[in-house]
Amino acid sequence: MLLTSVIIIIREVLEAAFLISIILSLCVQLNLTRHWFKWSLAGGVAGSIALGSQFGWVSNLFGGIGQELVDAGLQVFIYLCLLYICFKFIDHYFKPSGSNATFRAILTAVIACAMTREGSEIYIYLLAFQDLPEGGLSLYGGSIIGFGIGFSCCALFYYWILSFSVSRSLLLGCVLLTTMASGMMLQAAKMLIQADLLPDGQLWDSNGLLAEQSLAGQLLYALVGYEATPAPAQLMIYMVSGLTMAGVIIARHQYWRHRQLPEEANQYGN
Amino acid sequence: MTKLRILFSKNGLVVFTLALLSGANAYADKPEFELAIEQHLFEPSVLVIPANTKVKLWVSNKDSTPEEFESYELNREKVVLGGQRALIFIGPLAPGEYPFFGEFNPKTAQGKIIAK
Repeated sequence: MLLTSVIIIIREVLEAAFLISIILSLCVQLNLTRHWFKWSLAGGVAGSIALGSQFGWVSNLFGGIGQELVDAGLQVFIYLCLLYICFKFIDHYFKPSGSNATFRAILTAVIACAMTREGSEIYIYLLAFQDLPEGGLSLYGGSIIGFGIGFSCCALFYYWILSFSVSRSLLLGCVLLTTMASGMMLQAAKMLIQADLLPDGQLWDSNGLLAEQSLAGQLLYALVGYEATPAPAQLMIYMVSGLTMAGVIIARHQYWRHRQLPEEANQYGN
Repeated sequence: MTKLRILFSKNGLVVFTLALLSGANAYADKPEFELAIEQHLFEPSVLVIPANTKVKLWVSNKDSTPEEFESYELNREKVVLGGQRALIFIGPLAPGEYPFFGEFNPKTAQGKIIAK
């Protein structure tokens, strides 16, 4: 039970932990307020309990595919939020200003949703097994270890991104948020395939090269959406999502670069 | 090369997307299979399904505790609460063996689907 709890908690916590560390470190680098963070944590805990306690009802929605649709919906919402967040991060890099209410609300919502997705399963797991004889100490001990490892990864990543210059951490952060967001769209596609709303299939099996359930496989799953046996629909959605987000980020960056060039020319001209 | 050009052309991409979407739900009557979870064990632990066919897999959790049906090989994960029945669409699978397990009780809840 101890080891099972550790593995379950790490698997559920890792993705949200990476997301929190990247967004928070970029907020620090860009001198953006972090007051919204406490509300996102509160929202994540409340969302986890709300979804976890209504899981049976949610699962039975839409003829038994409610779980898949809610999960896919959350993933798509997180993707769109991350697209907006990267866009705004670039704006703040070129033209520092206070964050507006919409930006703060999106930052709060993205972390709350990421926590809700994974937290609801942790809530269901802990609530169900705490009263069993084999539960108790090993269940909570394993969970604390799992949370501790997740928190350590989060802190390590946070300080690693902070160790770069502002421009490099923005580049690194945007690349990671793009791969993570595309990975979430890949997972959304997986849920829609499971619900029979997209066709299944297998393009390749790279488990022999890197097992998906291995530690490295799980890390890559959280960071770049690594899937050992992807379906064609998953790959297509992953690529379209990644290219769209990269295109938006590059276009916004170029927009500011071109706006700055005449200003710089004017400065030197004067 | 011509096929690749068609695929990556604007119209080709639309056709490919429509083909993908219409591919789903194209199977009118899907064969149904039952799997039970009892005492943190899958029953049956080996399930034989037809290859190259999409099937409906009903997972009934007869325990009071929840379980997560999980398979890396099948690309499936679904939480089934205690006393509930969940639907998972599987396939079409190439002939072969596809292990699955219960994430909340991985030591005991083990099984495999054989597609043939």
